[in-house]
Amino acid sequence: MNSAASHGPRRVAPALLYGTLTLAALLCAWMLATSALGLVDARVLPSPAGVLARAATLIATPFSGATLAGHALASLHRWIIGVACAIAIGIPVGVLLAWLPPVRAAVAPLFELLRFIPPFAWVPIAVLWFGASTTTQALVVFIAAFPACVINAQLGVSQVDPILPRAAKALGAGSLATLLRVVMPVAAPSAFTGVRIAVSNGWMALVGAELIVGKQGLGFLISQGQNNDSVATIFVGIIAIGVLGALIDVVLQRAQARMLPWTPPVAEGL
Amino acid sequence: MRKASAAQRPAADGVATAAVPKMELRGLSKTFTTRNGTIEALAPCDLVIRKGEFVTVVGPSGCGKSTLMMIAAGLEAPTTGEVFVDGAPAGAAGPRRSVVFQKFALFPSETVAQNIEFGLRVAGIAKQEREARLQEQLAMMHLEQFRHAYPHELSGGMQQRVAIARALIVRPEILLMDEPFGALDAQTRSVLQEEVSRLRRVMDYTVLFITHSVEEAVYLGDRVIVMSRRPGRIKREIVVPKDAVWRGGEIESANDHADFNAARREVWELVREEIVRQ
Repeated sequence: MNSAASHGPRRVAPALLYGTLTLAALLCAWMLATSALGLVDARVLPSPAGVLARAATLIATPFSGATLAGHALASLHRWIIGVACAIAIGIPVGVLLAWLPPVRAAVAPLFELLRFIPPFAWVPIAVLWFGASTTTQALVVFIAAFPACVINAQLGVSQVDPILPRAAKALGAGSLATLLRVVMPVAAPSAFTGVRIAVSNGWMALVGAELIVGKQGLGFLISQGQNNDSVATIFVGIIAIGVLGALIDVVLQRAQARMLPWTPPVAEGL
Repeated sequence: MRKASAAQRPAADGVATAAVPKMELRGLSKTFTTRNGTIEALAPCDLVIRKGEFVTVVGPSGCGKSTLMMIAAGLEAPTTGEVFVDGAPAGAAGPRRSVVFQKFALFPSETVAQNIEFGLRVAGIAKQEREARLQEQLAMMHLEQFRHAYPHELSGGMQQRVAIARALIVRPEILLMDEPFGALDAQTRSVLQEEVSRLRRVMDYTVLFITHSVEEAVYLGDRVIVMSRRPGRIKREIVVPKDAVWRGGEIESANDHADFNAARREVWELVREEIVRQ
């Protein structure tokens, strides 16, 4: 125990160091190829400084209807609506699928069919129904995020050791109390993993949907960059998408550590 | 009065008490259906447990003794037969018959205190009384300083103390223990065996205790039920004298008593026959 605890921080430090080194090496290579040696034309691949300058411009002045922050907020807005709906509906559905076998038998075939349809396949029909609106974008996010919520919540519940509900029953707990107090908390880490997957699936699907329809958002910004022949704009968009996605995941991991203090570190990988 | 060795009698002998037994298992059998056909886990079993009696059940592994206990707890349905408590059908599982499992079965998302209180919370008992009864259990099981710990932070022995406290706090009429010390190391096991023996003297519970340890069965039991190998049936009952000298003492020193060793040998021979008879 003691030695493991003292090894912990020492292991984290090199991991962080190596990660930073990789990013720094990439940046160096990028600089060498563009501004330093001029191997690549700036219209094909702009230099880091060029991208940074473009980012500063996009932050300060609106482009295609909004500043960089405006596009990012538009994306986040749709994404939050879609993901929140996916979590609010998907987790209870997953729990019920695992807890009530008749529900599982009834819903499973339909669900298996639907989850193999890519989110983008729904874009045309969503546009016909809801136009190029927030609803359309949020619907695509929802479709992308929903299966991960259902599958992981279901997995979490079905992997609960059957002895735990038995113990609860023997102590006088009814079915609902057993589900809420014993089964759900134990299934929570798996459900939370599902949420993390859902969040990233939703984010990726959103950007894809924004490339196809819409008048705001980071995906739209990229497509406008293409229309205006501005590779730097595209790069700013791509980097913003990556950074925002990673930040969201970090926030979620922190939230998980705070909300589930009992999760034994070794059990998480199971 | 005092007998030199433990009395022995066949299982078929009825118990000659006028009072209604605390628990009665009548004609319980269990057959499982698997892909490879049906398996008879438990042949019809009859068992009568009087109020305040500590009955231990010992038998070779896979003899269906855990199945017997799960049925007695109401956690598994028998194929035939019925369970009675105070002469009436026992019905669904509940805190009248609380259970201690071999693998502790603590709720991993709850602290020690929350685990122990669980039965009181689902029964809607007021916070003040819950706290009082919790304090009592924490003190009795020497768990005070672990109150806020999570189960995975405790050793196996400590986890089983929590599980015992959780089962006792609901003031069960019958305590069912399914190989509770089977997953513990030898030293921890000895300490907990003595603890249960001590608790028993203080609280006078009716206990059905499943074990594969002959020594444990004789040390703790007023009556030792020996089961046959699968399909399990009750092979023999050994009555341990009420005033046996090793009661309440340490399990290690029980081995110093000739009576204890004689009873242990007698039970072991009965179990051994079942293991050898293949």
